[in-house]
Amino acid sequence: MPLSDAFAFDSVVLERDDRRILDGVSDHIHGGATTAIIGASGSGKSTFLRLLNRLEEPTSGSIAFDGQLLDSYDVHDLRRRVGLVAQRPTMLTPTVLEELRVAAPELSEEAAQALLGRVALEEHALDRDTASMSGGEQQRLALARALTVNPDVLLLDEPTSALDERAAKSVDRVISDLVDGGLTVVLVSHDLDRVAYIAHHVLVMERGRLVERGNPNDVRYLE
Amino acid sequence: MIIIQDLGAIVAASPLTTTAAIPDWVGVAASVVLVALAALIALRQHLGITRELLWASLRAFVQLLAVGAALTILFDRAGLLGALMWVTGMVVIAGVVAAGRAKSLPHSKRTAWMSIGLGTATTLGILLVLGVVQPEPIVVVPVGGMVVSGAMTAASMTMRQIAASAMNERPAIEARLALGQTGSEAFAPFLRGGVRTALVPAIDSTKVVGLIALPGAMTGLILAGVSPVDAIRYQIVVMYMLLAAAALSSILAARLTERSLFDDADRLRRVGPTK
Repeated sequence: MPLSDAFAFDSVVLERDDRRILDGVSDHIHGGATTAIIGASGSGKSTFLRLLNRLEEPTSGSIAFDGQLLDSYDVHDLRRRVGLVAQRPTMLTPTVLEELRVAAPELSEEAAQALLGRVALEEHALDRDTASMSGGEQQRLALARALTVNPDVLLLDEPTSALDERAAKSVDRVISDLVDGGLTVVLVSHDLDRVAYIAHHVLVMERGRLVERGNPNDVRYLE
Repeated sequence: MIIIQDLGAIVAASPLTTTAAIPDWVGVAASVVLVALAALIALRQHLGITRELLWASLRAFVQLLAVGAALTILFDRAGLLGALMWVTGMVVIAGVVAAGRAKSLPHSKRTAWMSIGLGTATTLGILLVLGVVQPEPIVVVPVGGMVVSGAMTAASMTMRQIAASAMNERPAIEARLALGQTGSEAFAPFLRGGVRTALVPAIDSTKVVGLIALPGAMTGLILAGVSPVDAIRYQIVVMYMLLAAAALSSILAARLTERSLFDDADRLRRVGPTK
């Protein structure tokens, strides 16, 4: 069931090495939709994404998920509910089936095949060598791996930036299908055109601050 | 079952009567020529290690003179307590050296001291309690020194390996954390790899012991005139003790380092390059 309001954040500041990376970010993220956080390199958007499943901790301010402060959850349960897929997928094991069992050791072969189908990968290639897969296939396998723990939210850091146009479109289609299935997606990108047709909401970040929000056709972000 | 006991008795009872000549100070001076030769070659090759080579040699000379004098007093007067204090001092120094190789890790000195100390205390302690190692300074100090040295190498290598993994494998570790794994689960593949790599020298030297090189304790006894068969008994005990101390220290160093790498929300701390 989609969350009504997935995240709400208030005056979030993050400082590292005497540098202010996030500077008083306040807003919210809708559940059951795709929200794109757009900004130039160094604007703090990837750091912000990592705050949402506590791979980073704010220096001050608060973040709530599903109505409760993030630190009130067991951090491991939170990360299972709020999955994160990095910009460059890291394969953790030699084969597709092992990859899908990293966080779900009991996953049956049938369930693994169903997940591969969900991310538009060859369903019967469970023994396939992960190192030999293309960038787009690895990205979709990383998505499937994140789905093995049934998250409510997926955080995607530049999910298509390292892919060619064809592979990027296939990943976009998978993301749209996942949101249609009730998942909340928050993705980070530096390219508004790239995410315009899959995002429902756009937040624009600039030098650690949220400077604009709207739908993809309204915001005036210039790359 | 008393094996490492009165070395004087072993030497005296040995059928071999010839002992190796101990070099006099002229002989020691002659050995300096070897270091000078190495330093000269390093200088001509512009390797940038000449100063360090000469400093290390001078330092070793002074250290050994001081240690020789201290051991003479220790063996004559200090008893078991003094010997154990000496071994403790070695653990302290070994911890500083091992931690110096992994300064980028949080609490590196504490980790090194605990792992080397526990590896040494467990192995040496068990053999002392069982009476395999005689509780005399003349036995405890040299045997303890070998154990501390082996434990230090293992702990140091483990900490370096783990620091390198924490830095280089950050994406893989965070990918696992993002799936809800604990820090310990996420780091497990790298912990295993770190311990395995750190123990390779100890395991390999155990495999080829006697085939490629005669180990130190055995060599010393043979030079002192003990029969090879007696020397081997001694060496077997020392070898097993070294292997156990290295394994214990490495495993403990790995576990303690792993704990220090993650904060209370299982976030991987930032680790810089090691020396």
